Amino acid sequence: MKPTKKNLMRVIEVGWINFKRNSWLAFGTIGIMVLTLLIFVGLVAFNIVSRTTIASLEEKVDITAYLKTNVSDDQASEIVNELENLPEISYVNYVSREEALEEFKKRHADEELVQQALLELGENPLQASLEIKAGETAQYASLVSFIEKSDFSNLIDKIDFYENSTVISRIQKISSGLRVGGILVTLILSLIAVLVTFNTIRLTIYSQKQEIEIMRLVGASNWHIRGPFVVEGALYGIIAGLAVLIIFYPMVYLVSPRVQSFIPSMDLANYFSNFFGQMGLLVLGSGIALGVVSSVIAVRRYLKI
Amino acid sequence: MITFEKVIKEYNGGQKSYRALDDINLEIKDGEFVSIIGPSGAGKSTLLKMLIREEVPSGGQITVDNINVPELTDSEVPYLRRKIGTIFQDFKLLTNKTSFENVAFALEVVGADEEQIKTDVPKVLRIVGMDEKFENFPHQLSGGERQRIAIARALIHRPKILLADEPTGNLDLLNTFDVIKLLMKINEFGTTVVLASHDREVVNAVGQRVITMDKGKVVKDQEQGKYTI
Repeated sequence: MKPTKKNLMRVIEVGWINFKRNSWLAFGTIGIMVLTLLIFVGLVAFNIVSRTTIASLEEKVDITAYLKTNVSDDQASEIVNELENLPEISYVNYVSREEALEEFKKRHADEELVQQALLELGENPLQASLEIKAGETAQYASLVSFIEKSDFSNLIDKIDFYENSTVISRIQKISSGLRVGGILVTLILSLIAVLVTFNTIRLTIYSQKQEIEIMRLVGASNWHIRGPFVVEGALYGIIAGLAVLIIFYPMVYLVSPRVQSFIPSMDLANYFSNFFGQMGLLVLGSGIALGVVSSVIAVRRYLKI
Repeated sequence: MITFEKVIKEYNGGQKSYRALDDINLEIKDGEFVSIIGPSGAGKSTLLKMLIREEVPSGGQITVDNINVPELTDSEVPYLRRKIGTIFQDFKLLTNKTSFENVAFALEVVGADEEQIKTDVPKVLRIVGMDEKFENFPHQLSGGERQRIAIARALIHRPKILLADEPTGNLDLLNTFDVIKLLMKINEFGTTVVLASHDREVVNAVGQRVITMDKGKVVKDQEQGKYTI
């Protein structure tokens, strides 16, 4: 028998009928697949949470270079230009002495003592500064040494990197740890999940070993025998995938406000609603792939007769 | 036409290997009804299994319709099996398919279309006397009924050769003779029938060529034979 369109319809129909008749067995297999796929989406969510956490931490890291008070605005903008040409730098902001004073006054508007002290001083005590952000946290150290060795180093009073360096390196360690850990955990748990599902489907098909052998003895081609099992496997995947989406989404909406109170920049509910299509495809796709591949491998064993 | 030429089958059991078939030479012509008899372990089943390549000989040649059976590749085997209808002692019905679907399966296998299945299956089920239980599953049927379904499945694609391995081994007397009558009728329509049995009554009722086996060898081959062990 050749895989024509008509035969394909028949194979799908037989797969569906077998699925209904094996519903008790199918229920167990689907249950295992639901657990597997929940682990998958859990890992996806975990990776997103950790990545956003890292990003929001790194966002907070910057260094400030204070310029000597005798540096003019023109000299400052030259430095800014030079720094902006560096590929490592993602952002440079020049804060002039006047702006710094404004900012300082605003911040201490309620404190009379400070305002009075400023008045009595008569002149602007604050330095102009450069706020610098690097593309990656690891680049700050080399950036600082570059600035210290540059032509304009004599215009710079001090850089606050050394006060922040322990915080910066700690954040860097946490983020790289989370990244590597995330990948490792994902790999190991995925492997376990795939093995459990594969073995469950293998047992399901083992229980129909005799049927497969009978089909062979009656002269059925391998394609004809395998087809309905593959359809059944795909059905397992589809149903398990739908179940996972039905479980996962309400859970996200439930948990999201709590997570957001820890990390304000992370809106899980919003994130997963935006990617509903992709998540659906991912879950259903991996469910179907798991079901189909496991079925094909499991059936092959009994086609030898 | 079926031929066996110097066919040997050895099984390895520990250090001792034992011969299930020992130098079998046979020729079965188209349209014959051949009964193969002998005690349990004589090699009857092994002989039939060779014909559908459920077993492969350790030596010798087997041909079915000029097909060299032991040489077939795994993917060619289904084509051989579609030329042959087989009835087994334990029926070998598909347990999660209904009577109708079990018989229809053999037609689907040869690539028949929906129309043909809808007209042929009820016809053949009627021939074997199972016109009422189309929608029943094997476990809802009696032994005799199951064997009729199995026979219907073996016939539905009009094979040139029908193999029956102890088809009456699990049946009572009444059902036994119904099945034998059915086999004889099928043979009258021109199908070659090879029947393996250790049932004296059955073989004597057929009254055609009888091949007697013992300990893996053919010990007697008579036209118009009787069961004489």
